[in-house]
Amino acid sequence: MSRLEAKKPSICRSEPLTGERTRASLAALRGLVTSCYGPAGRLKQLHNGRGGSVVTTSQSAALLAGLPVSHPVLKVLTAAVRNHVACFSDGGLFTAILCCNLVENVQRLGLTPTTVIKLNKHLLSLCTSYLKSEVCACRIPVDFSSTQILLSLVRSILTSKPACMLIAKEVDHISTLILRAFLLTIPENAQEHIILGKSIIVPLKGQRVIDSAVLPGILIEVSEVQLMKILPIKKSDSFKVALFGVSLSGDLSDTGEGTLLVSYGVSLENAALDQLFNLGKQLVSDHVDLVLCQKVIHPSLKQFLRTHHVIAVDRIGVSLMEPLSKVTGAWPIGSLGSISPSSYGSIKDLCIAKFGCKHFFHLIPNKTTICSLLLCNRNDTAWDELKLTCQTALHALQLTIKDPYVLLGGGCTETHLVAYIRHKTRNEPESVLQDERCSQTELQLITDAFCSALESLAGSLEHDGGEILTDSKYGHFWSVQANLPSAVNWPDLLSRCGCGLYSSQEELSWSFLRSVRHPFPPQTCLSCEATGSASTLTLDCFTAKLSGLQVAVETASLILDLSCVIEDTN
Amino acid sequence: MAAAGSVTVALHVAEVLETIVSGCLGPEGRQVLCTKPTGEVLLSRDGGRLLKALHLEHPVARVMVACVSSHLRKTGDGAKTFIIFLCHLLRGLREITGKEKDFFPFENIQTCGRHWKNCCQWKFISQALLTFQTQILDYVMDHYLSRHFLSIFSSGTKERTLCRGSLEMLLGAYFCGRVGRNNHNLISQLMCDYVFKCTACESSFEEVLEIVDDCFVELKVGVTGLPVSDSRIVAGLVLQRDFSVYCPADGDIRIVIVTETIQPLFSISGSEVILNSEAQFQTSQFWITERTKAIVKHLQNQNVKLLLSTVKQPDLVIYFAGLNGISVVECLSSEELSLIQRVIGLVPFVLPEASSQYELSHTALVKFCKPLILRSKRYVHLGLMSTCSFTPHCIVLCGPVQGLVEQHEDALHGAFKMLRQVFKDLDLNYVTQTSDQSCTSGPRIYKNSRESNELPKIANSSIQRSYQDTVVKNKGELAKTQTNLKVCSNLIVPSVKLEKNVLCSTPKVAVTDSYQTDETLRYSSPNKGRIMDDHEPLIENNSANSKTENTRKEISYENLQVTKLARKDSILPLRYKSLEMCTSQSYYFSSIPAGCVLPVGGNFEILLHYYLLNYAKKCQQSEQTMVSRIIANALLGVPKILYKSKKGNYSFPQVYVRALQALQTNQPMKSNQTGLESVAGKYELLTSVLQCLTNILTVDLVINIKRQPQEVYDQDSEEEL
Repeated sequence: MSRLEAKKPSICRSEPLTGERTRASLAALRGLVTSCYGPAGRLKQLHNGRGGSVVTTSQSAALLAGLPVSHPVLKVLTAAVRNHVACFSDGGLFTAILCCNLVENVQRLGLTPTTVIKLNKHLLSLCTSYLKSEVCACRIPVDFSSTQILLSLVRSILTSKPACMLIAKEVDHISTLILRAFLLTIPENAQEHIILGKSIIVPLKGQRVIDSAVLPGILIEVSEVQLMKILPIKKSDSFKVALFGVSLSGDLSDTGEGTLLVSYGVSLENAALDQLFNLGKQLVSDHVDLVLCQKVIHPSLKQFLRTHHVIAVDRIGVSLMEPLSKVTGAWPIGSLGSISPSSYGSIKDLCIAKFGCKHFFHLIPNKTTICSLLLCNRNDTAWDELKLTCQTALHALQLTIKDPYVLLGGGCTETHLVAYIRHKTRNEPESVLQDERCSQTELQLITDAFCSALESLAGSLEHDGGEILTDSKYGHFWSVQANLPSAVNWPDLLSRCGCGLYSSQEELSWSFLRSVRHPFPPQTCLSCEATGSASTLTLDCFTAKLSGLQVAVETASLILDLSCVIEDTN
Repeated sequence: MAAAGSVTVALHVAEVLETIVSGCLGPEGRQVLCTKPTGEVLLSRDGGRLLKALHLEHPVARVMVACVSSHLRKTGDGAKTFIIFLCHLLRGLREITGKEKDFFPFENIQTCGRHWKNCCQWKFISQALLTFQTQILDYVMDHYLSRHFLSIFSSGTKERTLCRGSLEMLLGAYFCGRVGRNNHNLISQLMCDYVFKCTACESSFEEVLEIVDDCFVELKVGVTGLPVSDSRIVAGLVLQRDFSVYCPADGDIRIVIVTETIQPLFSISGSEVILNSEAQFQTSQFWITERTKAIVKHLQNQNVKLLLSTVKQPDLVIYFAGLNGISVVECLSSEELSLIQRVIGLVPFVLPEASSQYELSHTALVKFCKPLILRSKRYVHLGLMSTCSFTPHCIVLCGPVQGLVEQHEDALHGAFKMLRQVFKDLDLNYVTQTSDQSCTSGPRIYKNSRESNELPKIANSSIQRSYQDTVVKNKGELAKTQTNLKVCSNLIVPSVKLEKNVLCSTPKVAVTDSYQTDETLRYSSPNKGRIMDDHEPLIENNSANSKTENTRKEISYENLQVTKLARKDSILPLRYKSLEMCTSQSYYFSSIPAGCVLPVGGNFEILLHYYLLNYAKKCQQSEQTMVSRIIANALLGVPKILYKSKKGNYSFPQVYVRALQALQTNQPMKSNQTGLESVAGKYELLTSVLQCLTNILTVDLVINIKRQPQEVYDQDSEEEL
């Protein structure tokens, strides 16, 4: 019987953003994400008093997944960020900080939501159309003939996650590994649609980071006990592989819904086992060298296969089935009766490898796009963080292949965009004012709020009390140490801008980011020499950042549009 | 709990709801964030959803919410307007009762206590409301309002074809009130594209809308984490699951649907399998394998490339299918199956009993079948070749959070419901009582003249006289519309059509009527000319002779034809006058034709307000006057909120005065907003609110029960019988 229970009435709050509680929790969240941002970001330790492991992280994916959020408005914000991260892996903190900044800045103005949302949308479209245009000076087209830009991209992602605990040498090593792993997944003869392969990350905790490696093919972990039973592998040019999706444990398969009456003395188990032996005989007669099974193989069958010099590995698990099928070219067999010869596959070589304290079967394919990234790190939490970072980097590379551009990182894109927007709205406000039916003052106020949100986003890269400057030619980001003498020679103190594209010796003039500046047109059209000359740049994934920008502004508009909150307390 | 203050209590409740709801109304409305008990958050501007999310306890509030949801089931729109209108009605009622103590005839009943007196009073009012709703409202709609209606159907052709521009305006206005203001343009554009892409031929919108409304859940895919602007339409059908086996294939792909496992079962339920030896078991296993293989092989021979299954297929089937190059999609829901069947008309494939050869008749072709990857999740993408008028397309809705995606889904679904409603005719029927003094006088005069029998001239003149009488009368009554002869001529139409005797004068009136509506609404001239030509001889005919009954009937028949013709030919005229005569003469059946719309921004409310006030002035029965007045004033509540934030020339008083002036001088009303809304929806809303109000007013006592609610065993008892 269903339980009937009267529901408690909900709590309805109007104007949720003006409340003290909301303001405080929004500020708390902003402080949290801001302090994590960038290479100098502070780490957060998430720990549950009731148990579970301690997580040390500065990544939004791990941070927000573990953070309990009770305020409905913040729930919207964090959900948006997490969904963004699920889609693009990168740019979660960027999105979160920008969204918080926008909501707080605009909230302070006290304009009607209609105007705010309209103008924010307009400014956003200004940004996106600029970033997508050819004249954009903070976007670099990727040159696939050299690895320089891609390597810089991976390096930037790795250095921005301090919780991986890598030293400079390790960063170099891991970034080359990631790039190599990625390049191995690209098919050689590319047609119209490139179907990328897969890099499988194999955990190896407790080892030095330098021991990490990339291997073509698949690594299957085997226990030492299993290894003892396996005979030495004979040398051969190619190995014939049978891949089973169905269980070979000899239990009775589905017997239908009816009743089964078995006469005395008849053993169905034996019948099933007989069937397995027949299968084994067929495998042997087909000269199969390696039998892989997703589920369990009956010990007798294993024994039988071993006596006939066939290597059998079971309990592979469903996640490896698809890559295995790709690597070997075998079709997962679902039948115990007859096996079509076309469902066998082959590999080039098979060997047993030992990495650290773990033993692996290494399946070396003829030619496929599957590779294994053996990832080492000292402890569990650092390994988890490194794994997440590697996935992010691989994903960023995939996105870069789709849309072959990268954005300047290190805060330069943000400050450059600010310079562009300020100049654009100051000098050509007519188009906006006509379309959106608002006054010049309103436009100016919203532009200021939007720009200062972007500026403080760039400013949150600095955590050690340093000052942030911007130049008046390119509109890039420059940071200096704190406590400077009043009269200084800027070019001596500054060396390179945030992204590393320009050096301070270029006759530039600087001003503080937070000071009042006269709008200037930042130089558009990036020159090729500039990108070529700089050796290491700080770069961001184009697709992820662009989408993060859109999601942040859309979510901020959504939050600013709230007229009341209805909380269901059941 | 006493009902003494029932209006006051109801008003309190309604006012609380109004404050919540009015924040979301109209293009300036804002979002509401609802949290579910599961911790999820939902964004909404949908009045019905908000009211449900509040979990109200107050009895009156529960009545209101129940009324709103039953209204929503019918029309899919108008929950917020419902509450606001109800609130204003209650306010009006309280003012009236507070002021005019002596108004009610029940006041003099001394024996009753004050409380019961009040109840009687409310009952009286609610009866008046009911009378209004059933009689006056339809009358006013038909006689006055209908001339302002526009249509979303484009003109020119005989068939009803949907005009893209009008559809855009209709949807734009709808989404303005439903989704966040930075997205409504995008969503309405998306929906508009969708409707046109899905419709194979122009005349089959209704069918398409029906399918989309019924199967909307299967036709949309929600994706979170992407900006809303990434939402798009994809051709074909997207199934929200991955392939079990995928074998790439080119060209047209033959598909079959199965509803059972292809592999024969070892034993079926209710049967017993006796195994006497191990060999027997092995043989039967072998047979099963061979049979499965044979069936799959046969499918391959028939060139089948895709197998859609409603159940999970065993490993064996998957294996053989993969070997034979057949892709498999398993676990289709029954809704998906029925949608596919509806679109391509494919019957599930029945496995033959015997293992002999059999013909495979139930197959169909699809254009493509491939995986679709959205946000690293794989979907099955089928290019179905439709056999009906619906060309399958899917909407991919993106948004940063699930709550927003759901809001857009709900809004789209509601929009399809609303469109379906727009495509339906709405019947109006009413009894003319008050305004048709001329109606009663007309026939009487004519009867007299008929008694005198051979004097058509006199008859004619008498009709003329009565006609002029009405004009004069109407002139006297409609002080403000003195100049408006057209209104008067409109008024007489039913009266003259009443009796067959009077029919000889019908053409004239009918012609002037249709002609003048043509002119007032500025319709195309060629049509007009032709109508006139058609009518001229008829008029002459009538005036010349009306001697024999036969010719009269003929003429009347032709006249009706002519009016119908005129209706078809004119462009946007919505004088859909198919007045039929009932056995009783004073019953009228008319309808608001499908596709009737009015510009948004309170146009409907202001128009109805104006005509109701006019009606109230003419009306002699005091309670009807009062009810009409209350309703007319309450109607203004919605436009007042809509124009609240506007300043200067666009503020509500300005708009209102301009509209009234335009109506008085019989000029078209100018609207500064683009967008249309359905008349039928508004009409339905009005009747629902009035019903709800009567419901609230007629209750005199609320009994509070503490016991657990008991289940109703309706179905069980039926089964037992």
